[in-house]
Amino acid sequence: MEEKKIEVKMKRRWGMVVDLDKCTGCGKCSVACNQENNMPIFEDDSDVPKRVAFLELMKVTNDRDAKFPDVKTAYLPKMCQQCEGNNSGKHKAEPPCVSVCPAVATDVGDDGVVSQVWSRCIGCRYCQTACPYEARAFNWWKPEYDGSFKKSLNTEVSVASRGTIVKCTFCSHIWKRERDKAVAKGILDINEVSYTPACVGTCPTGAMVFGDLNDPDSEVSKLASTDRAVRLTNVIDDEKNPEKKKALLNKKQFANPKVYYLTSQSWLRDMMRFKKNS
Amino acid sequence: MDKVKKFFKACYDGIFAGTSKNMRIALYVLFGLTALFLIFAIQILFWGLGYTDMDNNFTWGAWIIGDLGLVGLGGGAFTTGYILYIFRVDKLRPIINSTVLIGFMCYLFTFVFLLFDLGQPLRCWFGFAYPNWGKGVYPASMLTEVFFCLSFYFCILIVELIPVILEHKVLIKNKYVAAIAHYMHLLMWTMAAGGTFLSFFHQGSLGGGMWGALYAKTVWYSPHFFYMAIVAAMAGGTSFMTLIPYIASKILNKELVPMETFQLLARISGFIFIFYFVFRIFDIYKAVAVYSPMGGRAYTDMWGGYYGLWMLVLEIILFVGPLVLLNVKKYRDQEKYMVTGLACAVGAIVISKLSVLLHGFAAPNFPWKGFTAYGPTIQEWSITLGCFAVMILIYMAFVKWFPLFPHLEHDEHEAHH
Repeated sequence: MEEKKIEVKMKRRWGMVVDLDKCTGCGKCSVACNQENNMPIFEDDSDVPKRVAFLELMKVTNDRDAKFPDVKTAYLPKMCQQCEGNNSGKHKAEPPCVSVCPAVATDVGDDGVVSQVWSRCIGCRYCQTACPYEARAFNWWKPEYDGSFKKSLNTEVSVASRGTIVKCTFCSHIWKRERDKAVAKGILDINEVSYTPACVGTCPTGAMVFGDLNDPDSEVSKLASTDRAVRLTNVIDDEKNPEKKKALLNKKQFANPKVYYLTSQSWLRDMMRFKKNS
Repeated sequence: MDKVKKFFKACYDGIFAGTSKNMRIALYVLFGLTALFLIFAIQILFWGLGYTDMDNNFTWGAWIIGDLGLVGLGGGAFTTGYILYIFRVDKLRPIINSTVLIGFMCYLFTFVFLLFDLGQPLRCWFGFAYPNWGKGVYPASMLTEVFFCLSFYFCILIVELIPVILEHKVLIKNKYVAAIAHYMHLLMWTMAAGGTFLSFFHQGSLGGGMWGALYAKTVWYSPHFFYMAIVAAMAGGTSFMTLIPYIASKILNKELVPMETFQLLARISGFIFIFYFVFRIFDIYKAVAVYSPMGGRAYTDMWGGYYGLWMLVLEIILFVGPLVLLNVKKYRDQEKYMVTGLACAVGAIVISKLSVLLHGFAAPNFPWKGFTAYGPTIQEWSITLGCFAVMILIYMAFVKWFPLFPHLEHDEHEAHH
């Protein structure tokens, strides 16, 4: 008897939209991320540059020396931007971090999520060097979980060892869990299943939206195509002339991230572009 | 116990007997640094990289600077070998053994530094077992190329070094050893050619391509960086290979290598430096006019902080040394100018590597962040300087016990007869 093969084509392309005008900077997303992904707590966590965290809540101000009426502040939750890269000339579309790994410990899946295999990583930190968003973290110390903290570890996320790179994967273990649940119910189409990452699920103001960028009817696609959407330091978006844009894309690869930030504040948009603003 | 004591006494006498006071002090310092290296190596390998000043923003530090410098300057080995064995410039023969040894050590300690830099040193073989190949024979990752090319070229350097060891006055008395050494010499041109071929790839990748390929980082991105690093290695490496035996001959107060060999290699270095200088100016022009605006940033905005423009200025100033002092015959013929030129040449290469790394990491990735700085910890200093100390010790041992300078042996033989 020949077994019938069901081939389901992946349609998903996960992306995220963060409304910076709605974000209050409460930091719940960061806490939820740390809890969900088994972030270690080090003896000295005030050593920020060596801390291991997937989501960093960045405080952005227009000018450090600005006085009361002119000072403007925003909070920007920054996680892995899940870059896609773009096809240019002879290059394959790849995120900046994937092509550089000497041991193929990181790859981009057909759902658009940049993965990281901690047990394959040799800890050379080349991907960290290549990342323009400082999104990857290295375990400089041995990850430790003291006391009762150990009991609250998430069993779906493997604990990394010292000397490896870890990164945000849009909580893709939750997607796997949801898929398993769906299969148990008899749903075999992978595109029927959707999920919510920990940071998005916990946001109290609804500033973060997660979904499928390939689906034109999804909220995330609609929001990403508005005029308020801007991608972090991805300067190619500013080129309005389509011919010039095409020429530029042919010359050089750009990160092309799948995380969009929404804001109506022009100073913040300029800030995200390395432009000096008033 | 007595035997152990005797053994150590013999070792001590073998090394220190008949040395001058200055030499003894130098040796003590070098052995001290080696001891520090061993102590801190254990700490880093067993307790991790947390003890360094590298962090999630400044991901690489002193050891990668060491790598870039060593590989860049070690590039003199393939250049000299190629000119001697393929172009048959026999005037370079007195210096070739020393060149091969320096090249060998540069690459050996590049591996050592790379190993320390890995978070998981025990997984270093993953680079060979799971290489990131692209289409055909082209590696997708520059580090994959570094892994393979560096290893192959290191093997070649070992083969090139074997005759130096076989020609030891005790070993060479055996007729089989003598025959092997003789035929290895005859076939050495194949190694020189193969070494040059391989060197073009790893010089390009570790020295430049590794940084130039990072398309999302505007500070580094430049497709021609790969080729510039090759020229830089040929230009600076030959200077380095001249400078080291020159210093050795000053210390020993003997003519280890004839002056005309030094001058010839210095002239070659100065000549290649002209190309390197032109390439570097082109590189800066491209960065200012093309690549920085492409990445949405101004070149001058990126060159700030502690490692900003002064490094570039210093590099340009140092360029004057090799360009003028090594190319103009009037200056090259005077020892002091020649040595100044050589030192400037080595300095220009080292500064360029320093600025690639320090400046590249210090430049902020986000507009609201400032420039960062890096200060190596005692562990990083000890391991870096300790490796250099071991290199110097190995070189000294070879000068003392092996026929590193055939010219010198020849002279001494003639003096005996």
